[in-house]
Amino acid sequence: MATISLSKSEKAYIQSSLKASSSLRADGRRPHDYRGIALETGVAPLANGSARLNIGKTNHEQSGGTEVLAATKLEVEDIENGDGVEGGRIVCSVSCSPSAYPHVSYAALDDLQYDYTTLVQDILAHPSLHPPNLSILRGKKSWLLALDLVVLSDSGNIYDALFMAARAALWDTKVPRTRSVEYRANGSRPAGGNDMDVDQEKQSALDTRQVKTATDFELEDYWDEGEPLGGRDKWPVCITLNLFPPLYYLDAALQEEAATPLRLLLMFSFKSQAPASLQGMRLMGTDDIDLSLVSGLIKEGEKHAGELFVAINAKLKEEDIRRTEKARRRFAAVR
Amino acid sequence: MSSRIEILNDGGFRSDGRLPSELRSLAFDLSPQAGADGSAMVSHGLTQVLVSVFGPREAKSRAQTMHNRAALNVEVSVAPFSTSDRRRRGRGDKRVQEIVAMIKSTFEPVVQTALYPRSQIDIFVHVLQQDGGVLQASINATTLALTAAGVPLLDLVCAITAGVHSTSPDSPLLDLTTLEENDCPSVTVAVMPRSGKLTLVSLETRVHVDVFKGILEVVGEAGKVLSLEMKRAVLARTKMLKDAMGAGLRTAEFAEDAGGDE
Repeated sequence: MATISLSKSEKAYIQSSLKASSSLRADGRRPHDYRGIALETGVAPLANGSARLNIGKTNHEQSGGTEVLAATKLEVEDIENGDGVEGGRIVCSVSCSPSAYPHVSYAALDDLQYDYTTLVQDILAHPSLHPPNLSILRGKKSWLLALDLVVLSDSGNIYDALFMAARAALWDTKVPRTRSVEYRANGSRPAGGNDMDVDQEKQSALDTRQVKTATDFELEDYWDEGEPLGGRDKWPVCITLNLFPPLYYLDAALQEEAATPLRLLLMFSFKSQAPASLQGMRLMGTDDIDLSLVSGLIKEGEKHAGELFVAINAKLKEEDIRRTEKARRRFAAVR
Repeated sequence: MSSRIEILNDGGFRSDGRLPSELRSLAFDLSPQAGADGSAMVSHGLTQVLVSVFGPREAKSRAQTMHNRAALNVEVSVAPFSTSDRRRRGRGDKRVQEIVAMIKSTFEPVVQTALYPRSQIDIFVHVLQQDGGVLQASINATTLALTAAGVPLLDLVCAITAGVHSTSPDSPLLDLTTLEENDCPSVTVAVMPRSGKLTLVSLETRVHVDVFKGILEVVGEAGKVLSLEMKRAVLARTKMLKDAMGAGLRTAEFAEDAGGDE
């Protein structure tokens, strides 16, 4: 599914230099090196969590690289009458800007963003990763977590970029604090006895049971935007192994991607004091691979994913500090 | 005192503390996106739009080309997280199509399309944040992106939104936020400051003719201010490019000198 076309000789040139004993890449990287990754959180003021990620932006000229914008939004859903489910749900969507794929037709672009969406949705909306604090009122209201990813430009390695951006945006997501509200009937039927206008649930007049459940909720007024999404350490990172079996290399640029016949995508989730878990795996491309090689590749992938995970976490914590510091300074200035 | 937010208070200030004819903080960023021939990010306050321009280049389909001039192809995508309520707007959305049509008709008389027969200029607009004045920001960003791509234009097109509030019809409000857009009749005008011509006037609701004249005058002034700022941004970008090329030349000369000595 290369998005650019490459001549046969260019392909052969890239392949032979990658397979060479001391492999050479056009930008001078070693096979297992990543390009520089730039990450910023809190880029969309109207979202509950957001991040902008760029792989391979060059320093001297602020251009180039794969750029992905990710943002999460929380919406209240009704469980009884609406689409809501107990405990909340996650919906992911990826949209590709036509400027990221200037040579692809619109129909192909739609297919591409559908492919990306399915993959991201499959991995991130998996029950094993579901955050615990997406419910509001048992049986009544829950949060819908909508994660939107926008691919602004693609210069290779889009899958790693998508998952990294998603991880950063989800890490940054704050769930608003809610407090449940209970309306208590005072003895007889509440015929205008309540000072609040309550939507009466479809209750029978003969129902004499004591209904003591919270019917609605209100947002708590608090100085910050809410508590972080639960289980935010678990969001997976993706590592794409570009394969020339038995060799592999990481973080392919666009031309390298077009010259590589086979790719193995591995998504790992790391929990504290637990071994990494493999959340997903995709083999893409026109070539095939010996089964005996796969387990070795997964081991290698886990190693690289671990390194990437540590690096992203460090950056995310740094961003947290930078932004809370900013908020504190603004608060002090106003005071 | 009503609980509603006052659009214009007794002191003559707007809800965000601006004077009626004061613009929001402007930011122009001309640093290129990967692959695009020219791109620009424009922010008017909290409204943020990114435009990438490709071309003039061969059209994806032959049917879209014209034998005597270049075709302008405009695509607008609105990020789902750009508004307070999440909503996906596809290419077929009516509001999106309207913006596309307006950008196209604004730039068709300005871009010198006759210079590039049988080719296509693609303009991709990404609305990243919305807080009123999406059309004005899109047009301003498109102007800058076309300039950055080196596409010949007759003039820089500067767009600005103006509205009138009933309490003071003689002092139009410039550069409206969403809050003000919802409450005032507003008009978006695209000006070519050098010739003083207009390439777009889009009025959302109705205003009195007498008031309209006043609005157009203020908008013309605002257009001049905007074009000065745009020129400054373009100059800064060009100077950076020139310096970068100069650095290349100097090293080349140096290498040549070194070669000559041998």
